[in-house]
Amino acid sequence: MILKVVKFLKSSATIKTTILLSVVFFFASFAAQEFSAQKRFSKTYSASKNVRLQLTNRTGTVTVEGWDKDQIQISAYLEAPAANIEPQSLSGTILINVVKDNQGRNEVGNVNFLIKVPRTSTVDIETRMGNLNVSNVQGTLVRAHISSEGDITLTNIGASNVSAENVIGDIFYDGDVQQNGNYRFISTRGNINLRIPFNAGFKLVATAPSTRNIALGAFSNGNMKFVGDGRRVIGQSGDGSATVTVTNQRGSISFIRR
Amino acid sequence: MNCEHCQEVISVFLDNELDEMSSDSVREHLAVCEECSKVCEDLAMIMDFCQLEADETVIPPNPQALWCRINNVIESEVQAEIYKENKEKIQIAEAEQQQTGWLPRRWNFSFMQVASAVLGIAIISSVLTIVGIRNYTSPNNDLSSVNSEPTLFEKVLGKVGLMETPQAKRARIIKERETAIDYWNKRVEARRTQWNTNLRDAFDRNLNEINQAVSEYTLILEENPQDELSGEMLDSALNDKMELLREFSEL
Repeated sequence: MILKVVKFLKSSATIKTTILLSVVFFFASFAAQEFSAQKRFSKTYSASKNVRLQLTNRTGTVTVEGWDKDQIQISAYLEAPAANIEPQSLSGTILINVVKDNQGRNEVGNVNFLIKVPRTSTVDIETRMGNLNVSNVQGTLVRAHISSEGDITLTNIGASNVSAENVIGDIFYDGDVQQNGNYRFISTRGNINLRIPFNAGFKLVATAPSTRNIALGAFSNGNMKFVGDGRRVIGQSGDGSATVTVTNQRGSISFIRR
Repeated sequence: MNCEHCQEVISVFLDNELDEMSSDSVREHLAVCEECSKVCEDLAMIMDFCQLEADETVIPPNPQALWCRINNVIESEVQAEIYKENKEKIQIAEAEQQQTGWLPRRWNFSFMQVASAVLGIAIISSVLTIVGIRNYTSPNNDLSSVNSEPTLFEKVLGKVGLMETPQAKRARIIKERETAIDYWNKRVEARRTQWNTNLRDAFDRNLNEINQAVSEYTLILEENPQDELSGEMLDSALNDKMELLREFSEL
């Protein structure tokens, strides 16, 4: 009787071990399959300090970071079916156009970019769908355009011309407002949050016609006035040399002191 | 002595400058010749008269005064002539003026021409003034104006087709945008069957969002056509829609 019990326990442990191992192998193989499905593209270009990066993506996340090297390092993670990527270097401009490089293809997976550029670069990126992130860039221009949905996050920006535009998604800007600069933030639905220096000098036109939700925060002063039943704010802060235009058709606008 | 010779020397005879013998001959002839006697009498009378005139003008002539008098006479005659000419001219001008009004003859226009010119100048100056004012004030209007009722004059100009009212301009822009939207929509319809489900869903979601905004502003503008802010937002939303379609038609 004792022997039977011992035998049963042994066989039971074996079964458990077998089941456990099977589960582990199953997930491991699945993960391996996933890993093998995502390809990686990487390329580095030597570049001048004021190089221009122009990227047009189909879908996926794009992250651009400024660094102290005179190089542009492009890393792309391609989900299956993998897209074609053929960057071009043309007289001070690095061109990547995933839409054009894959025209006529029915199925193209997301392409997630991580690109490092010299801090004083000009950055002009757009995607049909997906998030755009740009940080630590102090060049002449930063433009981030999403044709449809996705969040735009611009942090530690020191450019004199900044443009961010999407349809559905949030826009967050954390950076300078330079003299005579031009800053434009446009969304259809989402929250637009702008974190700018308190002593910035700019003329403002902020419009949120649907929600009438425009929070000026520390920038609320006698020179700012609400018009059109609170749908728009116009006014001036400081010397008013820069221009800030914010339009959010069906969302909110908030100003935060930096 | 014959008559011919007598009449030749008769003047010398009367002046007592003829010699004695010749003088006797002349006297003898005059006694017998009536004709020469008559000539001699006439000549003697003339000479007497001249002698009298000479006696009266004993004052020596003053050339300067004489020229002064002559000059005065000439000037008075010339001035009289000029005065006469001027008077004639004035009379002619007055006659012309009575005939043509206050304009000279070469500016003679009919009433219709003058009226048309005045009307044309009035319209042009009004239009230029309006355009100038609008241009001058447009930056502020773009930023702050929300409801802008057109003035009576703008309405009139809009009615006669001389000026595009904001509503007419908006209608024109909307029509243009809708034409472009139709074009890109057809291209998207041709492509969208080849997109994956995620992309199709995302596109529809975003298009729907923009369409809601368009509907919202259209409704507001139907109630209040003068709401410029809604007009501006409608234009912006239609532009966003067109861009969305255009960019997705490339995929």
